[in-house]
Amino acid sequence: MAHGAAVAHGEHEHHPTGWKRWVYSTNHKDIGTMYIVLSMIAALVGGLMSWAIRLELAEPGIQFIHDTHFYNVLVTAHGFIMVFFVVMPAMIGGFGNWFVPLMIGAPDMAFPRMNNISFWLTAAGFILLMLSAVVGEGPGTGWTVYPPLSSIAFHPGPSVDFGILALHVAGAGSILGAINFIVTIFNMRAPGMTMHRMPLFVWSILVTAFLLLLALPVLAGALTMLLTDRNFGTHFYEVAGGGDPLLWQHLFWFFGHPEVYIIILPAFGIISQIVSTFAKKPVFGYLGMAYAMVSIGVVGFVVWAHHMFMTGIGVNARAYFTVATLIIAVPTGIKIFSWLATMWGGSIEFKAPMLYAMGFIWLFVMGGVTGVVLANGGIDTAFHDTYYVVAHFHYVMAIAAIFAMFGAWYYWIGKMTGRQYPEGLARVQFWVFFIGVNVLFFPQHFLGLAGMPRRIPDYPDVYAGWNFVSSIGAAITMAGTLLFYYVVFHTLASGRKAASNPWGEGATTLEWTVPSPAPFHTHEEMPVIAGGGHGHSHGHGMPRPAE
Amino acid sequence: MNGHERKRFATAAVLSCVAVAMLGLSLWSPTLYRLFCQATGFEGTLRTTNVPPPSGTTATEVLVRFDANVNSALPWRFHPLQREVRLRLGEEALIHYTAVNLSDKPITGMATFNVVPEKAAPYFSKLECFCFTEQTLLPGQEVSMPVVFYVDPGLAEDPTTRDVGTITLSYTFYRSENQPTPTASAAPPSSSTAGAGG
Ligand code: HEM
Ligand SMILES: [Cu+2]
Repeated sequence: MAHGAAVAHGEHEHHPTGWKRWVYSTNHKDIGTMYIVLSMIAALVGGLMSWAIRLELAEPGIQFIHDTHFYNVLVTAHGFIMVFFVVMPAMIGGFGNWFVPLMIGAPDMAFPRMNNISFWLTAAGFILLMLSAVVGEGPGTGWTVYPPLSSIAFHPGPSVDFGILALHVAGAGSILGAINFIVTIFNMRAPGMTMHRMPLFVWSILVTAFLLLLALPVLAGALTMLLTDRNFGTHFYEVAGGGDPLLWQHLFWFFGHPEVYIIILPAFGIISQIVSTFAKKPVFGYLGMAYAMVSIGVVGFVVWAHHMFMTGIGVNARAYFTVATLIIAVPTGIKIFSWLATMWGGSIEFKAPMLYAMGFIWLFVMGGVTGVVLANGGIDTAFHDTYYVVAHFHYVMAIAAIFAMFGAWYYWIGKMTGRQYPEGLARVQFWVFFIGVNVLFFPQHFLGLAGMPRRIPDYPDVYAGWNFVSSIGAAITMAGTLLFYYVVFHTLASGRKAASNPWGEGATTLEWTVPSPAPFHTHEEMPVIAGGGHGHSHGHGMPRPAE
Repeated sequence: MNGHERKRFATAAVLSCVAVAMLGLSLWSPTLYRLFCQATGFEGTLRTTNVPPPSGTTATEVLVRFDANVNSALPWRFHPLQREVRLRLGEEALIHYTAVNLSDKPITGMATFNVVPEKAAPYFSKLECFCFTEQTLLPGQEVSMPVVFYVDPGLAEDPTTRDVGTITLSYTFYRSENQPTPTASAAPPSSSTAGAGG
């Protein structure tokens, strides 16, 4: 086997050790690991904030957050941290860096030094965001940063400026990362690894990278104008100077809707790998799955104003955005049914990654259904800015993404560390977490239907019951989360040794052909992928390496 | 650079151009947005035109109401002299708003405007108005501000606006960022002596 020789060669090569190994790292696996560690740290910070929010909301009246602006700061920071510094780093920077090169047979990313810069820019962004909460009054704008609330009149201190800089810096890192992924996937595939034979996880990262490339510069431009409005007397969003705050909303959501898909597309890829591995079958409708992601990406750019139904846009615009939004449900449905068809008749093994994949499908379907409800401009008149929306996006995006990340962690940890997680404990962790998040978020649908507004720390007594249930759910979720960190610790400290392919015949992608843990250098001599038609003619929806 | 590397850099260059183009587009968007709103009447943006109304009015009448608002940072009183006028489509009308500076300082204000329902905006044509132009009022000064407009007969032919019987024209005055500079006599006398001494 060609790669066997490559591995042996790699281990003799000199590579840096100690702190230099990490700080100066140009190795896709080390950088991926750093992204995952950053995400796990940020998750604790963002998670603590959400638990503070749920504690405050456990009962009517103000419990312990007497400064309501501080409540807004918590909500804002929670959203930013989870979106930009937990989910994106783990899925794209973490698992993307680790497994895209391994899966396509490339020795590393196309631009290893740029990869290092991307990571450190993301880390710097996280630090700037933390600073924004301690300089000045803290940003209480929500993650949507709408002016005039975010303008100098209502946030006179420097915290919004720090927040803007945090997003600029992290955004620049993500754009560089996106370029790196696209170049890698386009130019560095092993011989025989055609586009139509790439694993679906690679497809998902490719589409995500394009969304990042097209959407993030728009956020950067919008933020720059907000910065100059705040500091240099321009009036892009100031009505008094002939500007329009609605322009911000258009730009923000032109970025924001693709952003939610940036978060969920890598999850789609992860779920496809896991489902096919544990059903021991190729993914049903491989090409349909790949192009469903492409079309979700494309259509995602023309639906943004479904976040703006209540801004007074005309009836024609509302009709268009309703229909365009509903159309996204079609490729989304293709994905769901293809996963179900993959499982159908398969001999499924209910290991922890598979439990998380099935949990993901349940959450995503729940959130998709409420999304289709909200997509109707007329209905959204009642639901906009209520807890119904909060329930929708936590099901469809937030918790679904976390499920995919947990699933990916259990699926790949043996490959990354050479140690396998404890299966029994992992299943317990799944069930605690699954029950927790459903008790936490399902009641929020009822609260939203009853009209409870989001982003307010107090509420009338009528909402007390379901809020209490929801906070109990938050406590269970917290237990599940801490249990996960314990599983991580347990795996690293005393996990049993992982085989190079711990999953058996279902795991057909290239990363399972290298030893566990994957050596520092892999695929230095490119593996050759056996010829043939599309991936699915190979029996597993994914290419097999040449034997 | 070998062939592989050249290909990588070429791809990266194209992608960088895409990112820069998107950034440029977003920075250009305020202009695009304004043009779009003016072209389509989006968000109730009015057309200011110098095209006179088409000759001949129609029998259909429409009620035009006038609304006035002042931002709390601007110590002015501002209101329309007429609450409403009823006119035929295509008929030209002249109405007046009036503004008074209630403070003891000269102040510059600036007005924005739109119409409701928004869908009627493309048919509401203003020939003369004080929109977006800065107005400076001396302490206690009162000015009358004319608006000349007509409603295009197309309003009654467009199936989406045929039901419109009432249009509200709304103005809001804000305190402008550019305030009048204090006159020479108001300047502190020390400044000139300091200048001479320096
Ligand atoms: C079937 C597909 C979907 C439809 C039809 C849909 C529809 C909608 C609509 C209409 C809203 C606006 C509600 C309002 O603010 O009044 C909304 C909000 C939201 N959606 Fe979705 N959605 C879908 C899928 C998704 C996915 C896949 C994600 C993320 C992965 C997502 C994330 C969000 C987020 C984060 C918000 C709230 C943003 C905010 O106001 O803070 N949605 N969705
Ligand atoms: Cu959206």
